[in-house]
Amino acid sequence: MHTVPEASGKDRPSRFAFPVQAPRAAAGPHLTLAILLAIAAILALASRTLAAGGEALVRPGEMRAGSLLLRSTEPGAFVEVPRVGTDVDITVSGPTARARITQVFRNPTEGWVEAIYVYPLPEGGAVDSLRIVIGDRVVIGDIKERKEARAIYAEAKAAGRKTTLLEQERPNLFTNSVANIGPGETVLVQIEYQEPVRQSADGFSLRVPLVVAPRYNPKPVLQTVDFAPGGQGWGTAADPVPDRERIEPPVLDPRSSAPTNPVTIAIRLQAGFALGEVRSHHHEVRIEERGADARLIGLAEGPVPADRDFELTWKPAAANAPAVGLFRERVGDADYVLAFVTPPALQQTEDRRPREIVFVIDNSGSMGGTSIVQAKASLLYALGRLKPVDRFNVIRFDHTMDVLFPDAVPADAEHVSRAKVFVDALKAQGGTEMLPSMKAALTDPRESDASFLRQVVFLTDGAIGNEQQLLDTIAAMRGRSRVFMVGIGSAPNSFLMTRAAEIGRGAFTHIGSADQVEERMRKLFEKLESPAVTNLSARFSEGEADVTPAVLPDVYRGEPLVIAARLGSARGYLAINGRIGDRPWTVTLPLTAAAEGKGLSKLWARRKIADAEVARTLRNTTLEEADKAILTLALDHRLVTRLTSLVAVDKTPSRPEGARLTRADLPLNLPAGWEFDKVFGGEKPREPREPRLDRASASRIQVASAPEATVASPALRPSATTATPGVALPATATDSELRMMLGLLLCAASLALAVVGRRRAAA
Amino acid sequence: MRAALQRATRRPRLTAAALLGAAGVILLGQGAWIQAKAVLAQILLERAFAETLATGRDAKPWSWADTWPVARVEAPRLGRSAIVLHGSSGQALAFGPGHVEGTPQPGKPGAAVFSAHRDTHFSFLRELRAGDELRVTRRDGVTLRFRVTDGSVVRFDASGLDPLAGLPRLVLSTCWPFDAKVPGPLRYLLEADLIADSAGTRAGLLIHEDGNGPEPALKT
Repeated sequence: MHTVPEASGKDRPSRFAFPVQAPRAAAGPHLTLAILLAIAAILALASRTLAAGGEALVRPGEMRAGSLLLRSTEPGAFVEVPRVGTDVDITVSGPTARARITQVFRNPTEGWVEAIYVYPLPEGGAVDSLRIVIGDRVVIGDIKERKEARAIYAEAKAAGRKTTLLEQERPNLFTNSVANIGPGETVLVQIEYQEPVRQSADGFSLRVPLVVAPRYNPKPVLQTVDFAPGGQGWGTAADPVPDRERIEPPVLDPRSSAPTNPVTIAIRLQAGFALGEVRSHHHEVRIEERGADARLIGLAEGPVPADRDFELTWKPAAANAPAVGLFRERVGDADYVLAFVTPPALQQTEDRRPREIVFVIDNSGSMGGTSIVQAKASLLYALGRLKPVDRFNVIRFDHTMDVLFPDAVPADAEHVSRAKVFVDALKAQGGTEMLPSMKAALTDPRESDASFLRQVVFLTDGAIGNEQQLLDTIAAMRGRSRVFMVGIGSAPNSFLMTRAAEIGRGAFTHIGSADQVEERMRKLFEKLESPAVTNLSARFSEGEADVTPAVLPDVYRGEPLVIAARLGSARGYLAINGRIGDRPWTVTLPLTAAAEGKGLSKLWARRKIADAEVARTLRNTTLEEADKAILTLALDHRLVTRLTSLVAVDKTPSRPEGARLTRADLPLNLPAGWEFDKVFGGEKPREPREPRLDRASASRIQVASAPEATVASPALRPSATTATPGVALPATATDSELRMMLGLLLCAASLALAVVGRRRAAA
Repeated sequence: MRAALQRATRRPRLTAAALLGAAGVILLGQGAWIQAKAVLAQILLERAFAETLATGRDAKPWSWADTWPVARVEAPRLGRSAIVLHGSSGQALAFGPGHVEGTPQPGKPGAAVFSAHRDTHFSFLRELRAGDELRVTRRDGVTLRFRVTDGSVVRFDASGLDPLAGLPRLVLSTCWPFDAKVPGPLRYLLEADLIADSAGTRAGLLIHEDGNGPEPALKT
């Protein structure tokens, strides 16, 4: 039996040998009792597991796919609701895509529950609509300031009304909370977002994230310190991942609780030009032609498990992608303009300066499997592309870090082969402490040596929770170095990659599978070797244009410059100036030629919000200014941001608790326009699964003697949580009852002895 | 001869009975003393806390005390209350619940943790249910109302409680299981969400006033 130092040392009478030993002896029967209780608990737990369909406790951050979590009796842990299905419906209209994600869940428990729903969305997506059908109610979300939304949600939750809250955890990770779902009720959650179509030299692409990779959140060893104004020098150390509880909690059993999440995908592609090749990179699809410029794309073999991102690319029938695209939309009293301009590729202006490249490769545990293979292949390819005049170095990191050479070395045959051996030997294991390696890579010992271009190529899946720290580091230390992010694996953190490349004035390349390594690395090297289009500026001839990005980034070969602007009215022309190498470059676009686009105002607002975040990271504005700008934009355009949330409260009073609802009582009333046939298609409610053996292991026994009168029956949190121990709780048991019981026993024994003695004497 | 033998055997038996009896009484007394101390101390603590509320200064309940009252916690439905002490050392816990070091003031963002013995001040925890109200009077006189949400059992060294994160809430901690007679590594945690303070302010607005609440820390 585990003994804990008793609370009050002075209560223990060390003078008496007898009483001190007595409790020890008495612990024997208690141990037996405890073992019996433990066995009972295992049985109870196993039967409960069976009944509940094998549900396992999970935490939001370890969810790999969008899923609904029920808050369990154990704080911070959740029971996952068996999923019925996900439907992704995307309409691409020219430069933008409107996505509608619908998921259907069922509350399988006997109680009323609050559900937490975690979902990955593309980082450039502007989430503006939330609808939910709980039982027979349709609730539509309203945009509110985050704190206000939380207060509204908490109030409605307490009052027993059905309510839902959509919050942004990261620009590409959202949580949705739904309160007061009745027993057996089915819940439909529908989110809509607008996103720009990605454009590059050889076509257009769209990525639908279906998986959230579990993130590594560094332990707060490297702390940042906040000094409060007027704190007289006293500051508090901040956790690098302040919201770790929301996005990365202790891992219980991620593999066995990872569900198969059947997804159906339909993409209505209206490219706006005659289409050539349309290709899905990671999924088998069937493509129906709907005219020269339109296609309907669906999955070839029905629903697929949501275990990788969906990526679709399309090319025009003509040999080259259109170099220019111009679209506009009128919302309220303003016109919104979106322009894509791909600068011409000019071979003769190649910069002959040699380069100094620092390669950083992530060999942490999250890179395990095919990711590390792709990363190594990419890096080996890159090493092979180096020219002898170049200099290079290689850094590898997990939670530790190794720098191959003390300083950058010439890329001669000997050094390159040493580097290849080093890279070849890498294995994926350990945590992801990205910060030290980024700092090492950005440390530039020859800052003033202009004869070299300095570039950092960072290969990672970006599965970290302290994104802001990393971005701050890049902003503070970038100097003349340019940072190129190579996203590896089936679900890289593309928000981090895109933002890091933007702040590091480089580019982001995503390598999703082994067969993309060579093609995409070759393109990356073309960017590394070709000069950028620099000194870009955009000017609208008429009206006060609010242009974003505020500072136009350099553009690499084959990439388009994307500009969004808000104007009083779209008249006149847009002039873009820049330099390609040492040659000036100008293009003029008449705005009257712009085609109608959809959702451009939201994309403009989303992009403005990103501007504000970048400005804050670069310390160009204060946090307060950035927040104010973001809040105004978000409320005006109804967007979910880190400061605003969508909240919906059911106005109709909820059913009284205790009035049990079964699914049969609740035929679903679907709002017009919702198509769930595909979602439900042939999908039966999931059969209860066999209880997993590990559920019944002794480390997470539920104590069977849980008092019925208390709050539900508490489950023992698993020992895995020792990774984040939290507050140490003091010992809170006295031995007063034990002492009194023993005392009584001894008194009784002494009495018995005396009485027996007297009886014998009497006899 | 038989009587002599009996007398001889009876005497040690009586001696043993007397010894056993004495040990029993001592043990009984010690057990009772722990209980009595817990009850008596609370009376002195009530007095000291009243003084704190009146003067606004920390008041020691008795001259040699190494702790002082910081709050009163009440469970109105059960009619139970206790004065909470600063710190959660063994000495403090003998007299009342302790406000665990490193956790925020009740009503501030994060989890304020009060800890007490399962067999004295926090014996009533087993009777609290989800939805029950808890009241905390801070030493600055502010009364906060909490509503019980969750109960859980954790190991003492793996509570998983991040005291500085999340909305203002109260966590009461005591040893688990309630009926065990020997100390063990398990703790029972009862979580309660802040509903309102004495001014009637809603929880969400409290954080706003604080300005340094937990959620602005969400960075993008």
